Amino acid sequence: MVLSEELVAFAQSGVAIHVGTADARMRPETARAMGARVEPGGGEVTVFVPRASMGATEANLEATGRVAAVFVRPLDDVSFQLKGTVVALGEATESDRRVVDRYVDALLEQFMIVGIPARITRAIARWPALAVRFRVEQIFVQTPGPGAGAVLGPAAAAGSGA
Amino acid sequence: MTGKLSDLLDAFQGVVPSVIATCDREGTPNVTFNSQVYYVDERHVALSCQFFNKTHRNVRENPWATVDIFEPVSLQAWRMRLRFDHIETEGPLFDTMALRIQVIASHTGMTGVFKLRSADVYEVVSIERIEGLSHTVDLDAPVGLPVGKMTELRGLQLVSDRINRCTDLESLLSGTLESLDETFGFSHGMVLVPEGTEGRLVALATRGYGEGGIGAEVRVGEGAIGLAAARRRMIRVGNMGGELRSGRAIRERAEQAGEAVAPEIPLPGLADAQAQLAIPLVVGGRLLGVLALESRDPLQFDDWDEAYLTVVANQIAMGVDRMQTVEDEGEPVPTAPRRVRPEPPARTRRFRYYRSDDCVFVDGEYLVRNVPGKILWKVLAAHARERRLEFTNRELRLDPTLGLPPVKDNLESRLILLRKRLAEKCPDVKLVPVRRGRFALELCCQVEMEEVAAGT
Repeated sequence: MVLSEELVAFAQSGVAIHVGTADARMRPETARAMGARVEPGGGEVTVFVPRASMGATEANLEATGRVAAVFVRPLDDVSFQLKGTVVALGEATESDRRVVDRYVDALLEQFMIVGIPARITRAIARWPALAVRFRVEQIFVQTPGPGAGAVLGPAAAAGSGA
Repeated sequence: MTGKLSDLLDAFQGVVPSVIATCDREGTPNVTFNSQVYYVDERHVALSCQFFNKTHRNVRENPWATVDIFEPVSLQAWRMRLRFDHIETEGPLFDTMALRIQVIASHTGMTGVFKLRSADVYEVVSIERIEGLSHTVDLDAPVGLPVGKMTELRGLQLVSDRINRCTDLESLLSGTLESLDETFGFSHGMVLVPEGTEGRLVALATRGYGEGGIGAEVRVGEGAIGLAAARRRMIRVGNMGGELRSGRAIRERAEQAGEAVAPEIPLPGLADAQAQLAIPLVVGGRLLGVLALESRDPLQFDDWDEAYLTVVANQIAMGVDRMQTVEDEGEPVPTAPRRVRPEPPARTRRFRYYRSDDCVFVDGEYLVRNVPGKILWKVLAAHARERRLEFTNRELRLDPTLGLPPVKDNLESRLILLRKRLAEKCPDVKLVPVRRGRFALELCCQVEMEEVAAGT
């Protein structure tokens, strides 16, 4: 699946990002991501998961390759969720770091609007980070409300999310 | 680091949405937000389900869930491993969660759309603190208000921040009342704490009633405040009738006529109060006090106020609880060096202790009773006997005659009450904290003591 231009802009703005994974015994794990990059072509996304708070995320991804990532704008809770399969897993590089630092600046502004002070946002661990690149297979509308879980795009006919 | 559920009650306020990850039977993960994670008991939490969504379906296929919740001021994250247990669609838990959702819905124009379908109860398997914050963050620095409209959430942030930064019980209580007044305009309020074993509450901090209300007592079960304590539920009284006013007036007339009114301090109150709100301060099922607010406007307190005042009350309760578990011995607090007075002061104050009801009078006027009365008597007696001037909280805790419970006593609140009553009725006697867990007796008068035995 390919992200629309609108979704690309949204995913790469200062929205909160959280990643969901599960181990082989189907025990789920969650972790904050500090930034995302939609790869050229719009069909793959890389999210940056700080190692300090990633828990079992890396081990789970190595075991199953299945990933979910939710993006939410703090101001109005507009959100969507991507699901897909990992295509590359590794240490975030110095060039990735620019994406992460830009993301923190953007997140800081969003969080300020809802009353979270900049010094708190800056204190969230961000580096070193795991770079999780995945192929997008499903996209779900996640904004709270009756439409939550609705599927965007044809590739996700198998079921709704959220 | 692992933790107890009660360690992270702050994070249950829903100020920062929680993140929940689940997984279907095929192993496909799902991650989403949930604003309400509700503390049920030390081993269970409930998640609000407004729409029958993927999370709701996944946990029926595969009961495991992982939730990250965040403390509202610091964003400190805690990770809970959960196992789905059951759903509730009625009963007190459901009602409480439904009310909060309704309140939020009515403020976002989503009434009817956004309502609680079920309270999904999970067993908490483990809790860990996420080390995802750098340690350079200075939580003591004042939090600046973001620009923009003053919203309840921002007000809540201010009040919460104030509570969080307090290091002693007295500033916690008076500071909270002050910030409720300044931020939300609740200008008449008080905090009462349990006193003694006979089911009474005593006012420890007041705002908007002038001097004199400290030490006033309320029986558990009586009136809005007593009822809130007995039922551990918020009690709201609107359009208060004339009974309250007439009761107060009768008392005033009796006092003016010089009749012997029981040694009791009248409860502060607005003579023309039209609405009253009493919110229990509860942590893990233990009653730590009641926050009571009054207004002349019969419609002052609405559902929305109830919702965020409950959040404030929970924070006060956790703060009080924190103060009660603080280590006795701590860093010395800076104090001016105590001077030795060159001459004995001339004035004599006469203290009389009635053993039958643990009541202390000073110069014929009621001062204090029960545990604070016993503490004062112990301290004065030790001074008379051995000229002692310094005392520790620890020795008070270990003294069986004072009857303090071995754990979670509210000694600090008793000392505050005693200090405030002394300041009002006998400023010549002071109990001054010298460091955490220690205080000094400062006398600017001669003390005469008389004990009246039980039965006389």
